[in-house]
Amino acid sequence: MNAPAVRAFSTEDLESTPPSRESVISLQGVRKTFHSSDGGAVEVIRDITLDIKKEEFVSIVGPSGCGKSTMFNIISSLLEPTDGVIELSGRDPHCGARIGYMLQRDLLFPWRTIIDNVCLGLEVRGVSKSRRYEMAKDHLSRYGLADFADQYPGTLSGGMRQRVALIRTLITEPDLILLDEPFSALDYQTRLVLEEEIVSILKEHKKTVVLITHDIGEAIAMSDRVAVMTKRPTSVKKVYDVGLSRELGSCLKARSDVRYQTLFDQIWEDLDIQVAGGAA
Amino acid sequence: MSDAQTFTHRIQAGSNKDISEASKRSVLLTDNLWRGAGIALLVALWQVGVSVGWINPFLMGSPSGIAEEALRLLQSGQLLDDTLATVSATIAGFLLGSVLGSICGLLLWFSRTTARIIDPFMVALNGLPKIALAPMIIIWFGSGMFSKIMLAFVATFVVALLSAYQGTHQIDGNMINLMRSLGGSRREVFTKVVAPATLPWIISAFRLNIGFALIAEIGGEFISSDRGLGRMIFVAGNLFNLNVVWVGVIVLMMVAIALYVVVSKVEKRLLPWDHAR
Repeated sequence: MNAPAVRAFSTEDLESTPPSRESVISLQGVRKTFHSSDGGAVEVIRDITLDIKKEEFVSIVGPSGCGKSTMFNIISSLLEPTDGVIELSGRDPHCGARIGYMLQRDLLFPWRTIIDNVCLGLEVRGVSKSRRYEMAKDHLSRYGLADFADQYPGTLSGGMRQRVALIRTLITEPDLILLDEPFSALDYQTRLVLEEEIVSILKEHKKTVVLITHDIGEAIAMSDRVAVMTKRPTSVKKVYDVGLSRELGSCLKARSDVRYQTLFDQIWEDLDIQVAGGAA
Repeated sequence: MSDAQTFTHRIQAGSNKDISEASKRSVLLTDNLWRGAGIALLVALWQVGVSVGWINPFLMGSPSGIAEEALRLLQSGQLLDDTLATVSATIAGFLLGSVLGSICGLLLWFSRTTARIIDPFMVALNGLPKIALAPMIIIWFGSGMFSKIMLAFVATFVVALLSAYQGTHQIDGNMINLMRSLGGSRREVFTKVVAPATLPWIISAFRLNIGFALIAEIGGEFISSDRGLGRMIFVAGNLFNLNVVWVGVIVLMMVAIALYVVVSKVEKRLLPWDHAR
């Protein structure tokens, strides 16, 4: 067995990672076991120890069926871990940090217009209608979606819907943004464009981001760090410092950098995916 | 060697512009013309058959006889009275049953335990032909229109309840998680996700319930009543007055179509997103 986490960064090469060092979320020895009705226990997550610093973009990459959605639910506090500690720190007095998320499916409510979808979080928080419309219009026009404010989501393309979903998340100003394969339902070109756009928006807003994905390339192109997971029961196998998009200023440039391919090969190796047979 | 001939077909941009609207209208028009022609042909054949003697008007009725009866019933005001009685009782029972049933079905979302416990009863009630309850309901509520309202209510309530409750089960759990992550309370999850997401199911139950309410209403009138289209049909049938039976059937058909159109209009108002695609 490998050591649970390999932290490879030293103080010198912090150029590429953001300056602020306080952590927004820290997971220590998180374990999750599910009990089935016949008394059996399934260990899904063995040990996740991971620290995510402020304004950092961290990707979690794992093989298929590595308990990704369990991890997601634990980080987003929808599920309690069996063991271990999760610390969230941010501006929320009740739960430490406010978490906003974005999933593969945009989850726009089909019965709400685009602007009302964007306003959802503000509405729940009790912001007045005129104020939240003002904020929403401001956000929508900044990302070129102002013309669609009064349309229903059904009329928008997949990429546009994901943009709306991101705005809905951003407008509530979460301390941590959790992305769960947000691009996997999109075609390749849209995916590259949106990748770029989302990284630049999130950096502009100085957001702390955790991206959970199968897509090694996406993880390398977008992240400051990539955490590679083992198969079930999951633990952290290795953590890579990447920071290519931050250094080069673009995900596309990151994808064409020489280091990209090296990292890709290393991570592929770590995932230990059997190409013939084996993997389901 | 001869030159190979080339053909060019040019498609001008914009020439197909109004094709959808205009052609839709003309298709509708020709469809309606064919429908009208079909009915006219049928009626004409029927009438000719009666006058030549191929069709026995005593057993089948005749178009001219139906028209005569319709005119007579209209002039006496009886047709209008009966139609109004049937339509108002049907609508009252239908609305009461569909609305209350939908609300109860939605509220069951709050308590899985209650839903689990009453589930077999609902399934049993849903399978029961509600008209079997008519004799009892008429004994309890009399032979007036109130008992017919109660019958239509019973016939529509369970359908609406089950449909709404099933609708609440089809909601994407991620939408509810999203509301929770935004800090939404259980009540907000209900009003902002559960209720609107279930609306299409509720509307489709309304549509089904038009038919169920009419069956209950007419069945109830057959058994015992002092007015209504069902009573008119039942009495005329016993007297072998087939022309009056036909008048009743035709008016009932028109009532059903009218109610269906109203529900469709309401649907368009309530579900604008379904028509925005």
